[in-house]
Amino acid sequence: MIPFVLFSMKRAWQGFWRNALMSLAATLTMVLMLSLLAGFFILQNVLLASLAFVEQKVEVVAYVERTATDGQVETLIANTEAMPQVASVEFISRDAALERFKATQEAQGRTDLSQYLESNPLYASINVKLTSPTQLEAVTSALREDPIVRNVLNIQALVDRVLTVTSVVRTAGVAMVGIVGLIVLFIIVNTIRLAVVARAEEIEIMRLVGASDAFIRWPFVFEGALVGLLGAVITLGLLYAGSEPLGQAMVSFFNVLPLELGSVGRDTAILVTATGVGLGVLGSWLSVRTYLIR
Amino acid sequence: MTVSSGAPSTPSTSPSLFDRLTGRGRPARPDHAVVVLHDVTKRYPNGKEALKDVDLVVPEGDFVFLVGPSGAGKSTLMKLLIRDELATQGDVVIDGFDLARIRRRQVPKIRRKIGIVFQDFKLLPRKTVWENVAFALEVTGTPRRQIRPAVDRVLALVGLTGQAKQLPDQLSGGEQQRTAIARALVHDPRIIIADEPTGNLDPIISWEIIQLLLRINELGVTILMATHDAQVVTALRKRVVALEDGRIIRDETGAAYHRED
Repeated sequence: MIPFVLFSMKRAWQGFWRNALMSLAATLTMVLMLSLLAGFFILQNVLLASLAFVEQKVEVVAYVERTATDGQVETLIANTEAMPQVASVEFISRDAALERFKATQEAQGRTDLSQYLESNPLYASINVKLTSPTQLEAVTSALREDPIVRNVLNIQALVDRVLTVTSVVRTAGVAMVGIVGLIVLFIIVNTIRLAVVARAEEIEIMRLVGASDAFIRWPFVFEGALVGLLGAVITLGLLYAGSEPLGQAMVSFFNVLPLELGSVGRDTAILVTATGVGLGVLGSWLSVRTYLIR
Repeated sequence: MTVSSGAPSTPSTSPSLFDRLTGRGRPARPDHAVVVLHDVTKRYPNGKEALKDVDLVVPEGDFVFLVGPSGAGKSTLMKLLIRDELATQGDVVIDGFDLARIRRRQVPKIRRKIGIVFQDFKLLPRKTVWENVAFALEVTGTPRRQIRPAVDRVLALVGLTGQAKQLPDQLSGGEQQRTAIARALVHDPRIIIADEPTGNLDPIISWEIIQLLLRINELGVTILMATHDAQVVTALRKRVVALEDGRIIRDETGAAYHRED
Protein backbone atom coordinates (compact mmCIF):
# COMPACT_ATOMS: atom_id res chain seq x y z
CA MET A 1 0.00 0.00 0.00
CA ILE A 2 2.75 2.47 0.91
CA PRO A 3 4.78 1.76 -2.25
CA PHE A 4 1.58 2.26 -4.21
CA VAL A 5 0.92 5.63 -2.58
CA LEU A 6 4.51 6.69 -3.19
CA PHE A 7 4.24 5.53 -6.79
CA SER A 8 1.01 7.49 -7.29
CA MET A 9 2.49 10.62 -5.75
CA LYS A 10 5.61 10.34 -7.87
CA ARG A 11 3.52 9.86 -11.00
CA ALA A 12 1.32 12.79 -10.00
CA TRP A 13 4.38 14.99 -9.59
CA GLN A 14 5.79 13.87 -12.95
CA GLY A 15 2.43 14.27 -14.61
CA PHE A 16 2.16 17.80 -13.27
CA TRP A 17 5.54 18.93 -14.58
CA ARG A 18 5.58 16.99 -17.85
CA ASN A 19 2.37 18.75 -18.81
CA ALA A 20 3.47 22.01 -17.24
CA LEU A 21 1.43 24.29 -19.50
CA MET A 22 -1.83 22.45 -18.87
CA SER A 23 -1.07 22.13 -15.16
CA LEU A 24 -0.28 25.81 -14.78
CA ALA A 25 -3.41 26.76 -16.71
CA ALA A 26 -5.44 24.57 -14.37
CA THR A 27 -3.69 26.04 -11.33
CA LEU A 28 -4.31 29.57 -12.57
CA THR A 29 -8.00 28.84 -13.09
CA MET A 30 -8.02 27.35 -9.62
CA VAL A 31 -6.47 30.55 -8.18
CA LEU A 32 -8.97 32.79 -9.96
CA MET A 33 -11.93 30.69 -8.88
CA LEU A 34 -10.75 30.34 -5.30
CA SER A 35 -10.11 34.09 -5.09
CA LEU A 36 -13.62 34.70 -6.33
CA LEU A 37 -15.01 32.32 -3.75
CA ALA A 38 -12.87 33.76 -0.95
CA GLY A 39 -13.88 37.29 -1.95
CA PHE A 40 -17.56 36.48 -1.73
CA PHE A 41 -17.03 34.57 1.49
CA ILE A 42 -15.29 37.54 3.15
CA LEU A 43 -17.93 39.92 1.84
CA GLN A 44 -20.61 37.68 3.26
CA ASN A 45 -18.89 37.74 6.64
CA VAL A 46 -18.62 41.53 6.63
CA LEU A 47 -22.28 41.61 5.76
CA LEU A 48 -23.24 39.27 8.58
CA ALA A 49 -21.15 41.22 11.07
CA SER A 50 -22.82 44.44 9.94
CA LEU A 51 -26.25 42.91 10.36
CA ALA A 52 -25.34 41.62 13.80
CA PHE A 53 -24.19 45.11 14.71
CA VAL A 54 -27.46 46.61 13.55
CA GLU A 55 -29.47 44.04 15.44
CA GLN A 56 -27.48 44.65 18.60
CA LYS A 57 -28.72 48.20 18.55
CA VAL A 58 -32.20 47.00 19.45
CA GLU A 59 -32.78 48.00 23.03
CA VAL A 60 -35.83 47.70 25.23
CA VAL A 61 -36.30 50.78 27.37
CA ALA A 62 -38.51 50.42 30.46
CA TYR A 63 -39.28 53.53 32.51
CA VAL A 64 -39.47 53.09 36.25
CA GLU A 65 -42.07 54.70 38.51
CA ARG A 66 -40.74 57.50 40.68
CA THR A 67 -42.18 55.80 43.71
CA ALA A 68 -40.02 52.74 43.25
CA THR A 69 -37.53 52.08 46.01
CA ASP A 70 -33.88 51.27 45.38
CA GLY A 71 -34.54 47.72 46.56
CA GLN A 72 -37.39 47.27 44.06
CA VAL A 73 -35.22 48.63 41.24
CA GLU A 74 -32.39 46.28 42.16
CA THR A 75 -34.76 43.31 42.18
CA LEU A 76 -36.09 44.36 38.78
CA ILE A 77 -32.55 44.60 37.37
CA ALA A 78 -31.58 41.24 38.86
CA ASN A 79 -34.74 39.56 37.53
CA THR A 80 -34.23 41.02 34.08
CA GLU A 81 -30.60 40.00 33.96
CA ALA A 82 -31.63 36.49 34.91
CA MET A 83 -33.75 36.15 31.75
CA PRO A 84 -32.04 34.02 29.08
CA GLN A 85 -33.07 36.40 26.28
CA VAL A 86 -31.24 39.32 27.90
CA ALA A 87 -27.67 40.21 27.01
CA SER A 88 -27.13 43.14 29.36
CA VAL A 89 -29.03 45.59 31.50
CA GLU A 90 -28.13 49.19 32.10
CA PHE A 91 -29.78 51.36 34.73
CA ILE A 92 -30.16 55.04 33.95
CA SER A 93 -31.08 57.06 37.05
CA ARG A 94 -33.21 60.19 36.72
CA ASP A 95 -30.13 62.39 37.13
CA ALA A 96 -28.22 60.43 34.53
CA ALA A 97 -31.18 60.70 32.15
CA LEU A 98 -31.19 64.48 32.57
CA GLU A 99 -27.45 64.63 31.96
CA ARG A 100 -27.88 62.65 28.77
CA PHE A 101 -30.71 64.88 27.64
CA LYS A 102 -28.57 67.96 28.20
CA ALA A 103 -25.67 66.40 26.39
CA THR A 104 -27.77 65.55 23.32
CA GLN A 105 -29.29 69.00 23.23
CA GLU A 106 -25.87 70.58 23.39
CA ALA A 107 -24.52 68.25 20.74
CA GLN A 108 -27.34 69.36 18.46
CA GLY A 109 -26.57 73.00 19.20
CA ARG A 110 -29.87 73.78 20.92
CA THR A 111 -30.41 75.87 23.97
CA ASP A 112 -30.56 73.96 27.18
CA LEU A 113 -34.21 74.25 28.09
CA SER A 114 -33.86 72.26 31.24
CA GLN A 115 -32.57 75.28 33.12
CA TYR A 116 -36.13 76.53 33.12
CA LEU A 117 -37.35 73.47 34.93
CA GLU A 118 -37.94 73.53 38.62
CA SER A 119 -37.32 69.84 39.03
CA ASN A 120 -36.18 66.90 36.93
CA PRO A 121 -39.20 65.71 34.88
CA LEU A 122 -37.58 62.59 33.62
CA TYR A 123 -38.02 59.02 34.72
CA ALA A 124 -35.33 56.59 35.59
CA SER A 125 -35.11 53.69 33.10
CA ILE A 126 -33.52 50.36 32.56
CA ASN A 127 -32.11 49.79 29.06
CA VAL A 128 -32.11 46.14 28.17
CA LYS A 129 -29.95 44.72 25.37
CA LEU A 130 -31.24 41.48 23.87
CA THR A 131 -29.37 38.40 22.72
CA SER A 132 -31.50 38.57 19.60
CA PRO A 133 -34.07 41.09 18.43
CA THR A 134 -36.56 38.28 17.91
CA GLN A 135 -36.83 38.01 21.70
CA LEU A 136 -38.31 41.48 21.95
CA GLU A 137 -41.85 40.36 22.66
CA ALA A 138 -40.97 38.08 25.57
CA VAL A 139 -38.79 40.64 27.32
CA THR A 140 -41.20 43.50 26.75
CA SER A 141 -44.15 41.66 28.21
CA ALA A 142 -42.13 40.42 31.18
CA LEU A 143 -41.08 43.97 31.99
CA ARG A 144 -44.63 45.28 31.60
CA GLU A 145 -45.87 42.92 34.29
CA ASP A 146 -43.58 44.38 36.91
CA PRO A 147 -45.53 46.86 39.09
CA ILE A 148 -42.72 49.41 39.31
CA VAL A 149 -42.43 49.66 35.54
CA ARG A 150 -44.33 52.68 34.37
CA ASN A 151 -44.26 51.86 30.70
CA VAL A 152 -42.13 50.14 28.06
CA LEU A 153 -41.38 51.84 24.78
CA ASN A 154 -43.14 49.96 22.01
CA ILE A 155 -40.63 49.41 19.25
CA GLN A 156 -42.14 46.18 17.90
CA ALA A 157 -43.00 47.67 14.51
CA LEU A 158 -39.52 49.10 14.08
CA VAL A 159 -37.84 45.85 15.12
CA ASP A 160 -40.04 43.88 12.74
CA ARG A 161 -38.92 46.05 9.89
CA VAL A 162 -35.26 45.70 10.83
CA LEU A 163 -35.67 41.94 11.05
CA THR A 164 -37.31 41.75 7.64
CA VAL A 165 -34.49 43.69 6.07
CA THR A 166 -31.73 41.73 7.77
CA SER A 167 -33.25 38.36 6.91
CA VAL A 168 -33.66 39.33 3.26
CA VAL A 169 -30.07 40.55 3.10
CA ARG A 170 -28.84 37.38 4.85
CA THR A 171 -30.69 35.09 2.45
CA ALA A 172 -29.42 37.05 -0.52
CA GLY A 173 -25.88 36.76 0.82
CA VAL A 174 -26.15 33.01 1.29
CA ALA A 175 -27.68 32.60 -2.17
CA MET A 176 -24.88 34.66 -3.68
CA VAL A 177 -22.16 32.57 -2.04
CA GLY A 178 -24.05 29.42 -3.09
CA ILE A 179 -24.25 30.51 -6.73
CA VAL A 180 -20.61 31.55 -6.81
CA GLY A 181 -19.75 28.19 -5.22
CA LEU A 182 -21.59 26.32 -7.98
CA ILE A 183 -19.88 28.35 -10.70
CA VAL A 184 -16.52 27.65 -9.08
CA LEU A 185 -17.38 23.93 -8.86
CA PHE A 186 -18.25 23.61 -12.54
CA ILE A 187 -15.34 25.64 -13.82
CA ILE A 188 -12.75 23.82 -11.72
CA VAL A 189 -14.10 20.34 -12.49
CA ASN A 190 -14.15 21.21 -16.18
CA THR A 191 -10.62 22.57 -16.16
CA ILE A 192 -9.33 19.41 -14.50
CA ARG A 193 -11.27 17.38 -17.04
CA LEU A 194 -9.51 19.21 -19.84
CA ALA A 195 -6.15 18.42 -18.28
CA VAL A 196 -7.09 14.75 -18.02
CA VAL A 197 -8.53 14.54 -21.54
CA ALA A 198 -5.30 16.03 -22.88
CA ARG A 199 -3.66 12.86 -21.63
CA ALA A 200 -6.24 10.39 -22.91
CA GLU A 201 -3.57 8.56 -24.89
CA GLU A 202 -1.44 7.98 -21.83
CA ILE A 203 -4.45 6.56 -19.99
CA GLU A 204 -5.29 4.45 -23.03
CA ILE A 205 -1.79 2.95 -23.02
CA MET A 206 -2.01 2.27 -19.30
CA ARG A 207 -5.24 0.41 -19.83
CA LEU A 208 -3.90 -1.62 -22.73
CA VAL A 209 -0.78 -2.77 -20.93
CA GLY A 210 -2.97 -4.05 -18.14
CA ALA A 211 -2.83 -1.36 -15.46
CA SER A 212 -5.51 -1.82 -12.83
CA ASP A 213 -8.06 0.93 -12.22
CA ALA A 214 -6.31 2.01 -9.04
CA PHE A 215 -3.01 2.51 -10.85
CA ILE A 216 -4.70 4.64 -13.46
CA ARG A 217 -6.91 6.62 -11.12
CA TRP A 218 -4.84 7.53 -8.10
CA PRO A 219 -1.96 9.33 -9.81
CA PHE A 220 -4.54 11.60 -11.42
CA VAL A 221 -6.38 12.08 -8.15
CA PHE A 222 -3.14 13.06 -6.42
CA GLU A 223 -2.34 15.36 -9.31
CA GLY A 224 -5.75 17.00 -8.94
CA ALA A 225 -5.09 17.41 -5.23
CA LEU A 226 -1.70 18.93 -6.04
CA VAL A 227 -3.26 21.46 -8.42
CA GLY A 228 -5.87 22.26 -5.77
CA LEU A 229 -3.34 22.64 -2.99
CA LEU A 230 -1.04 24.80 -5.09
CA GLY A 231 -4.00 26.93 -6.18
CA ALA A 232 -5.12 27.30 -2.58
CA VAL A 233 -1.65 28.25 -1.33
CA ILE A 234 -1.24 30.89 -4.07
CA THR A 235 -4.73 32.24 -3.41
CA LEU A 236 -4.12 32.49 0.32
CA GLY A 237 -0.76 34.15 -0.33
CA LEU A 238 -2.45 36.75 -2.52
CA LEU A 239 -5.19 37.30 0.04
CA TYR A 240 -2.66 37.64 2.83
CA ALA A 241 -0.63 40.15 0.84
CA GLY A 242 -3.79 42.08 0.06
CA SER A 243 -5.33 41.84 3.51
CA GLU A 244 -3.24 44.61 5.14
CA PRO A 245 -4.06 47.50 2.77
CA LEU A 246 -7.57 46.21 2.26
CA GLY A 247 -8.12 45.86 5.99
CA GLN A 248 -6.97 49.44 6.53
CA ALA A 249 -9.34 50.68 3.88
CA MET A 250 -12.18 48.72 5.40
CA VAL A 251 -11.50 50.01 8.89
CA SER A 252 -11.63 53.62 7.72
CA PHE A 253 -14.67 52.91 5.59
CA PHE A 254 -16.58 51.14 8.31
CA ASN A 255 -15.33 53.49 10.95
CA VAL A 256 -18.70 53.69 12.57
CA LEU A 257 -19.16 49.95 12.81
CA PRO A 258 -16.75 48.19 15.11
CA LEU A 259 -17.23 44.87 13.32
CA GLU A 260 -16.18 41.63 14.88
CA LEU A 261 -14.45 39.55 12.21
CA GLY A 262 -12.24 37.51 14.49
CA SER A 263 -12.21 34.11 12.76
CA VAL A 264 -12.74 35.16 9.15
CA GLY A 265 -9.06 34.73 8.28
CA ARG A 266 -8.98 31.19 9.59
CA ASP A 267 -12.36 30.29 8.06
CA THR A 268 -11.28 31.63 4.67
CA ALA A 269 -8.06 29.61 4.80
CA ILE A 270 -10.00 26.44 5.60
CA LEU A 271 -12.63 27.15 2.94
CA VAL A 272 -10.09 27.90 0.21
CA THR A 273 -7.88 24.90 0.99
CA ALA A 274 -10.76 22.47 1.34
CA THR A 275 -12.44 23.72 -1.84
CA GLY A 276 -9.22 23.65 -3.84
CA VAL A 277 -8.12 20.18 -2.79
CA GLY A 278 -11.66 18.78 -2.73
CA LEU A 279 -12.57 20.00 -6.20
CA GLY A 280 -9.18 18.96 -7.58
CA VAL A 281 -9.75 15.44 -6.31
CA LEU A 282 -13.39 15.36 -7.41
CA GLY A 283 -12.55 16.67 -10.87
CA SER A 284 -9.84 14.08 -11.43
CA TRP A 285 -11.92 11.25 -10.03
CA LEU A 286 -14.85 12.03 -12.33
CA SER A 287 -12.70 12.68 -15.39
CA VAL A 288 -10.64 9.51 -15.12
CA ARG A 289 -13.71 7.39 -14.47
CA THR A 290 -14.67 7.73 -18.13
CA TYR A 291 -11.55 5.86 -19.15
CA LEU A 292 -11.68 2.96 -16.73
CA ILE A 293 -12.75 -0.59 -17.48
CA ARG A 294 -16.34 -0.81 -18.56
CA MET B 1 -10.54 -0.51 -2.35
CA THR B 2 -7.97 -3.08 -3.19
CA VAL B 3 -4.81 -2.34 -4.99
CA SER B 4 -3.11 -4.96 -7.05
CA SER B 5 0.14 -5.77 -5.38
CA GLY B 6 3.50 -5.90 -6.98
CA ALA B 7 3.25 -9.63 -7.52
CA PRO B 8 4.06 -10.94 -11.00
CA SER B 9 1.01 -10.93 -13.21
CA THR B 10 -0.02 -14.58 -13.21
CA PRO B 11 1.73 -17.69 -12.07
CA SER B 12 2.15 -19.43 -15.38
CA THR B 13 2.77 -23.12 -15.73
CA SER B 14 4.62 -22.71 -18.98
CA PRO B 15 8.16 -21.27 -18.90
CA SER B 16 8.53 -17.53 -19.28
CA LEU B 17 9.64 -15.82 -22.44
CA PHE B 18 13.00 -15.19 -20.86
CA ASP B 19 13.45 -18.82 -19.99
CA ARG B 20 12.64 -19.66 -23.58
CA LEU B 21 15.01 -16.94 -24.78
CA THR B 22 17.83 -18.45 -22.81
CA GLY B 23 17.01 -21.92 -24.05
CA ARG B 24 15.71 -23.17 -20.75
CA GLY B 25 12.08 -23.25 -21.80
CA ARG B 26 10.01 -25.72 -23.70
CA PRO B 27 8.11 -24.89 -26.88
CA ALA B 28 4.52 -23.72 -26.93
CA ARG B 29 1.79 -26.33 -26.58
CA PRO B 30 -0.10 -26.47 -29.86
CA ASP B 31 -2.81 -28.54 -28.18
CA HIS B 32 -3.63 -25.62 -25.92
CA ALA B 33 -5.97 -23.06 -27.46
CA VAL B 34 -5.03 -19.54 -26.30
CA VAL B 35 -7.88 -17.87 -28.16
CA VAL B 36 -11.33 -19.37 -28.57
CA LEU B 37 -14.28 -17.53 -30.04
CA HIS B 38 -17.52 -19.46 -30.15
CA ASP B 39 -20.60 -18.17 -32.02
CA VAL B 40 -19.59 -14.61 -31.28
CA THR B 41 -21.86 -11.79 -32.31
CA LYS B 42 -21.16 -8.17 -31.53
CA ARG B 43 -23.91 -5.63 -31.93
CA TYR B 44 -23.13 -2.02 -31.06
CA PRO B 45 -25.70 0.17 -29.31
CA ASN B 46 -26.40 1.90 -32.63
CA GLY B 47 -27.63 -1.43 -33.98
CA LYS B 48 -24.68 -2.12 -36.23
CA GLU B 49 -23.60 -5.76 -36.24
CA ALA B 50 -19.83 -5.73 -36.41
CA LEU B 51 -19.38 -9.48 -35.98
CA LYS B 52 -21.80 -12.29 -36.79
CA ASP B 53 -21.50 -15.89 -35.56
CA VAL B 54 -17.73 -15.90 -35.50
CA ASP B 55 -15.96 -19.14 -34.58
CA LEU B 56 -12.20 -19.06 -34.21
CA VAL B 57 -9.74 -21.29 -32.39
CA VAL B 58 -6.09 -20.30 -32.18
CA PRO B 59 -3.69 -22.88 -30.72
CA GLU B 60 -0.74 -21.69 -28.70
CA GLY B 61 2.23 -20.80 -30.88
CA ASP B 62 0.14 -20.08 -33.98
CA PHE B 63 0.80 -17.16 -36.34
CA VAL B 64 -2.46 -15.84 -37.75
CA PHE B 65 -3.04 -13.12 -40.33
CA LEU B 66 -6.37 -11.40 -40.02
CA VAL B 67 -7.32 -9.91 -43.37
CA GLY B 68 -10.30 -8.19 -44.87
CA PRO B 69 -11.46 -4.76 -46.00
CA SER B 70 -11.87 -1.85 -43.61
CA GLY B 71 -15.04 -2.21 -41.60
CA ALA B 72 -15.04 -6.00 -41.90
CA GLY B 73 -14.81 -6.38 -38.14
CA LYS B 74 -11.07 -6.80 -37.51
CA SER B 75 -10.89 -3.97 -34.99
CA THR B 76 -14.01 -5.17 -33.18
CA LEU B 77 -12.53 -8.65 -32.97
CA MET B 78 -9.39 -7.26 -31.37
CA LYS B 79 -11.40 -5.15 -28.94
CA LEU B 80 -13.26 -8.27 -27.86
CA LEU B 81 -9.99 -10.11 -27.23
CA ILE B 82 -8.70 -7.45 -24.83
CA ARG B 83 -12.18 -7.08 -23.34
CA ASP B 84 -12.44 -3.47 -24.37
CA GLU B 85 -15.86 -4.53 -25.58
CA LEU B 86 -18.00 -7.45 -24.50
CA ALA B 87 -19.56 -9.84 -27.00
CA THR B 88 -23.32 -9.47 -27.40
CA GLN B 89 -23.61 -13.24 -27.84
CA GLY B 90 -21.23 -16.15 -27.68
CA ASP B 91 -18.04 -16.83 -25.73
CA VAL B 92 -14.62 -15.26 -25.91
CA VAL B 93 -12.04 -17.35 -24.06
CA ILE B 94 -8.46 -16.19 -23.59
CA ASP B 95 -6.00 -18.71 -22.19
CA GLY B 96 -8.85 -20.53 -20.47
CA PHE B 97 -10.57 -17.42 -19.08
CA ASP B 98 -14.10 -16.69 -20.27
CA LEU B 99 -14.03 -12.92 -20.68
CA ALA B 100 -17.74 -12.56 -20.01
CA ARG B 101 -17.42 -14.31 -16.66
CA ILE B 102 -14.23 -12.87 -15.18
CA ARG B 103 -14.57 -10.16 -12.62
CA ARG B 104 -13.82 -6.57 -13.48
CA ARG B 105 -10.79 -6.61 -11.24
CA GLN B 106 -9.27 -9.47 -13.20
CA VAL B 107 -9.43 -7.69 -16.53
CA PRO B 108 -6.01 -6.03 -16.14
CA LYS B 109 -4.47 -9.42 -15.40
CA ILE B 110 -5.92 -10.88 -18.60
CA ARG B 111 -4.63 -7.89 -20.52
CA ARG B 112 -1.13 -8.60 -19.29
CA LYS B 113 -1.32 -11.94 -21.09
CA ILE B 114 -1.82 -9.99 -24.30
CA GLY B 115 0.66 -7.61 -25.86
CA ILE B 116 -0.82 -5.06 -28.23
CA VAL B 117 0.94 -3.31 -31.11
CA PHE B 118 -0.69 -0.55 -33.14
CA GLN B 119 -0.21 1.04 -36.51
CA ASP B 120 0.49 4.41 -34.88
CA PHE B 121 2.83 2.92 -32.21
CA LYS B 122 1.16 4.79 -29.31
CA LEU B 123 4.40 5.71 -27.61
CA LEU B 124 4.54 8.46 -25.00
CA PRO B 125 6.47 11.32 -26.63
CA ARG B 126 7.98 12.68 -23.40
CA LYS B 127 9.45 9.36 -22.33
CA THR B 128 12.59 7.72 -23.65
CA VAL B 129 12.54 4.30 -25.30
CA TRP B 130 13.59 2.72 -22.01
CA GLU B 131 10.94 4.64 -20.03
CA ASN B 132 8.23 3.78 -22.54
CA VAL B 133 8.91 0.09 -22.07
CA ALA B 134 9.36 0.38 -18.31
CA PHE B 135 6.05 2.28 -18.15
CA ALA B 136 4.13 -0.92 -18.89
CA LEU B 137 5.70 -2.54 -15.84
CA GLU B 138 5.50 0.52 -13.57
CA VAL B 139 1.79 1.01 -14.03
CA THR B 140 1.11 -2.62 -13.23
CA GLY B 141 2.92 -2.38 -9.93
CA THR B 142 6.09 -4.29 -10.75
CA PRO B 143 8.83 -3.73 -8.15
CA ARG B 144 11.63 -1.52 -9.38
CA ARG B 145 14.36 -4.13 -9.03
CA GLN B 146 12.48 -6.38 -11.47
CA ILE B 147 11.85 -3.60 -13.98
CA ARG B 148 15.45 -2.82 -14.91
CA PRO B 149 16.55 -6.31 -15.99
CA ALA B 150 13.24 -7.03 -17.74
CA VAL B 151 13.39 -3.83 -19.81
CA ASP B 152 17.04 -4.35 -20.68
CA ARG B 153 16.29 -7.86 -21.91
CA VAL B 154 13.35 -6.98 -24.18
CA LEU B 155 15.25 -4.03 -25.61
CA ALA B 156 18.09 -6.41 -26.44
CA LEU B 157 15.58 -8.79 -28.03
CA VAL B 158 14.20 -6.11 -30.38
CA GLY B 159 17.68 -4.69 -30.98
CA LEU B 160 17.23 -1.27 -29.38
CA THR B 161 19.78 -1.38 -26.57
CA GLY B 162 21.73 1.46 -28.20
CA GLN B 163 18.65 3.69 -28.55
CA ALA B 164 17.40 3.18 -24.99
CA LYS B 165 17.92 6.83 -23.97
CA GLN B 166 16.39 8.40 -27.08
CA LEU B 167 12.96 9.94 -27.33
CA PRO B 168 10.46 8.50 -29.83
CA ASP B 169 10.71 11.45 -32.23
CA GLN B 170 14.45 10.83 -32.55
CA LEU B 171 13.75 7.34 -33.87
CA SER B 172 12.83 6.02 -37.29
CA GLY B 173 9.39 4.52 -37.81
CA GLY B 174 10.76 1.01 -37.64
CA GLU B 175 12.56 1.74 -34.38
CA GLN B 176 9.41 3.25 -32.91
CA GLN B 177 7.46 0.14 -33.82
CA ARG B 178 10.18 -2.03 -32.30
CA THR B 179 9.88 0.01 -29.11
CA ALA B 180 6.14 -0.66 -29.12
CA ILE B 181 6.81 -4.38 -29.65
CA ALA B 182 9.28 -4.35 -26.76
CA ARG B 183 6.60 -2.74 -24.59
CA ALA B 184 4.10 -5.39 -25.67
CA LEU B 185 6.60 -8.12 -24.80
CA VAL B 186 7.75 -6.87 -21.45
CA HIS B 187 4.86 -8.50 -19.58
CA ASP B 188 5.86 -11.84 -21.05
CA PRO B 189 2.53 -12.23 -22.85
CA ARG B 190 1.03 -15.41 -24.32
CA ILE B 191 -0.39 -13.54 -27.28
CA ILE B 192 0.68 -10.56 -29.34
CA ILE B 193 -2.10 -8.72 -31.12
CA ALA B 194 -0.77 -6.49 -33.86
CA ASP B 195 -3.20 -4.12 -35.56
CA GLU B 196 -1.65 -3.15 -38.92
CA PRO B 197 1.82 -2.93 -37.37
CA THR B 198 3.43 -2.18 -40.73
CA GLY B 199 0.74 0.18 -41.98
CA ASN B 200 2.90 3.29 -41.49
CA LEU B 201 6.21 1.77 -42.58
CA ASP B 202 7.95 1.42 -45.93
CA PRO B 203 8.34 -2.12 -47.36
CA ILE B 204 11.91 -2.78 -46.20
CA ILE B 205 11.21 -1.65 -42.65
CA SER B 206 7.96 -3.64 -42.75
CA TRP B 207 9.93 -6.77 -43.43
CA GLU B 208 12.17 -6.02 -40.46
CA ILE B 209 9.13 -5.82 -38.23
CA ILE B 210 7.68 -9.03 -39.69
CA GLN B 211 10.99 -10.79 -39.11
CA LEU B 212 10.93 -9.65 -35.50
CA LEU B 213 7.36 -10.90 -35.04
CA LEU B 214 8.32 -14.25 -36.59
CA ARG B 215 11.21 -14.54 -34.18
CA ILE B 216 8.95 -13.79 -31.23
CA ASN B 217 6.52 -16.38 -32.60
CA GLU B 218 9.32 -18.94 -32.69
CA LEU B 219 9.82 -18.30 -28.99
CA GLY B 220 6.31 -19.66 -28.44
CA VAL B 221 4.25 -16.46 -28.40
CA THR B 222 1.01 -16.66 -30.37
CA ILE B 223 0.68 -13.85 -32.91
CA LEU B 224 -2.50 -12.38 -34.31
CA MET B 225 -1.79 -9.78 -36.93
CA ALA B 226 -4.35 -7.72 -38.80
CA THR B 227 -2.96 -6.43 -42.05
CA HIS B 228 -3.66 -5.15 -45.55
CA ASP B 229 -0.19 -6.07 -46.75
CA ALA B 230 -0.94 -8.72 -49.41
CA GLN B 231 2.73 -9.21 -50.27
CA VAL B 232 3.72 -10.13 -46.74
CA VAL B 233 0.76 -12.44 -46.17
CA THR B 234 1.22 -14.28 -49.45
CA ALA B 235 4.96 -14.65 -49.00
CA LEU B 236 4.82 -16.11 -45.52
CA ARG B 237 2.20 -18.83 -46.13
CA LYS B 238 0.84 -18.71 -42.60
CA ARG B 239 -2.72 -19.22 -41.42
CA VAL B 240 -5.04 -16.62 -42.93
CA VAL B 241 -8.43 -15.69 -41.48
CA ALA B 242 -10.45 -13.47 -43.78
CA LEU B 243 -13.30 -11.35 -42.46
CA GLU B 244 -15.99 -9.70 -44.51
CA ASP B 245 -19.11 -7.99 -43.22
CA GLY B 246 -18.50 -9.36 -39.77
CA ARG B 247 -18.26 -13.00 -40.84
CA ILE B 248 -15.28 -15.27 -41.30
CA ILE B 249 -15.37 -16.10 -45.00
CA ARG B 250 -12.10 -18.03 -45.13
CA ASP B 251 -9.78 -19.71 -42.63
CA GLU B 252 -6.87 -21.55 -44.28
CA THR B 253 -3.41 -22.61 -43.20
CA GLY B 254 -0.47 -21.85 -45.48
CA ALA B 255 -2.60 -19.50 -47.51
CA ALA B 256 -2.18 -16.34 -49.56
CA TYR B 257 -3.76 -12.92 -49.06
CA HIS B 258 -6.40 -13.57 -51.69
CA ARG B 259 -8.39 -16.70 -52.28
CA GLU B 260 -6.51 -19.06 -54.58
CA ASP B 261 -8.99 -21.41 -56.19
